[in-house]
Amino acid sequence: MTKNLLLVGAVFALPFFAIAQGDDLLAELEEKTKPATTYAFATWKGTKVVNLQTNEMPAKGVLQYTILHRFGAFNDDFFYNFMGLDNAQVRLTLDYSPTTWLNLGLGHTGFLKTYDFFAKYRLTRQSKGARNMPVSIVGYSSMYYSAQRYNDGIDRNFSRRTSYVHELVISRKFSQNFSAELVPTLIHSNLVQRSADNNTLFALGMAARYKVTPMIALTVEYVPVLNPNQYPDINPDPLALPADLNLSNFTNALSVGFDIETGGHVFQLFVTNARGVAEPYAFGQNTGSWLNGDLHFGFNISRVFTVGP
Amino acid sequence: MRYLIFGLVLSFGLSAQKLSTRKGYVKFFSDAAVEEIEAENTQCSSIINLDNGSFAFLVPIKAFQFEKALMQEHFNENYMESGKYPNASFKGNILSFESPDLSKDQNLKWKLKGRLTIHGVEREIEEEVMVRIKDGKLSLSSEFNLKVSDYGIDIPATKKDNISNDLKITVKFQYD
Repeated sequence: MTKNLLLVGAVFALPFFAIAQGDDLLAELEEKTKPATTYAFATWKGTKVVNLQTNEMPAKGVLQYTILHRFGAFNDDFFYNFMGLDNAQVRLTLDYSPTTWLNLGLGHTGFLKTYDFFAKYRLTRQSKGARNMPVSIVGYSSMYYSAQRYNDGIDRNFSRRTSYVHELVISRKFSQNFSAELVPTLIHSNLVQRSADNNTLFALGMAARYKVTPMIALTVEYVPVLNPNQYPDINPDPLALPADLNLSNFTNALSVGFDIETGGHVFQLFVTNARGVAEPYAFGQNTGSWLNGDLHFGFNISRVFTVGP
Repeated sequence: MRYLIFGLVLSFGLSAQKLSTRKGYVKFFSDAAVEEIEAENTQCSSIINLDNGSFAFLVPIKAFQFEKALMQEHFNENYMESGKYPNASFKGNILSFESPDLSKDQNLKWKLKGRLTIHGVEREIEEEVMVRIKDGKLSLSSEFNLKVSDYGIDIPATKKDNISNDLKITVKFQYD
């Protein structure tokens, strides 16, 4: 009987324990509603760092328009050329995301009258919790067609005018402010300048950003080409034999800048030794170097419009 | 044994005095000079203890849905810093609380007092709440205003015409 009474007493006490513990209702709620998986977002401010892609894509149903400029070099009659503006290189792109994981776009670049179309596709998203994924991986593939007119008698058919770039963006948001990425890149040109040139170049792009305020981030980007092509002197010694011509490696693109975000725009202002705006020219065909002051001021500006469902 | 059953029944009866929901609704509305911004959240959770009138709710910041995806991203990344502060929360009590009779359809008015935490900043608030009991279900709703600047959220000068410092908040909970 006493045993029974004890039991009854314990049962009676149960709800009171429950109330005593339940006093922290908030802790109870937090425990109950912990999200299974949280995904990293806003790893970068823009869809590009400078020349490299980021893992960011416009959201589904969003149309993005970008204007990219690279001004003339600082060491090329800078003021005579109105701070490089007079020989600026321009690129325009328009892209749209029909789904959350795919972005399709068209671009035009002034240099060599180049038209391109590109696709960007999400493979993984950085997440933690029930689903753990340390990095976001996004692929970027584009095809370029140069419509430049030539009078040199070389037959340039469609295939000879095309080149391709594939980037695999492996990106991680380490903290609220710091993100970095590695971008194995393949650049293929069907026609190259010299017979000794590689048609396919491999590069290992790397980039990082640090947010100094919620709206402003510093960025740095470096794209070393692992098997660079070479170019002859621009003003060769007229008496030199062809075998004695001086050849130099094309230089790797290094860019430093900052991103400013203002609602629907991202302004990216930077200094780079890459003269070309489109990827095949920016990564494989730089002659400028930071050490010689062959630097170009440049900007990328994006504007997004929510148009689709 | 009879006592045991009696005790179990009683304990169930008592713990049923805690009502909860995970589908609570919170909306905020910003009416600035050039832009109106509105976001809704239907994944808020709340608990109310009808024994002592204590009350809490939790608002997952990332679950706010905006008209534009980029707005939502900026809200989370630049303003609410939801990576660091994933939830807004309230914890408090109903003032001069009397446990309502859930079997009777009625409308009541309660006063809630407690601490609202947004963006890691905790502030005491006191707001009036409309209460409706219908078919044995309890619902709460409230509308109040708050100042963004009170919660350590900085609106840059260039955005003052787009984002208002005064937000109108609507809260609705229907308990299961």
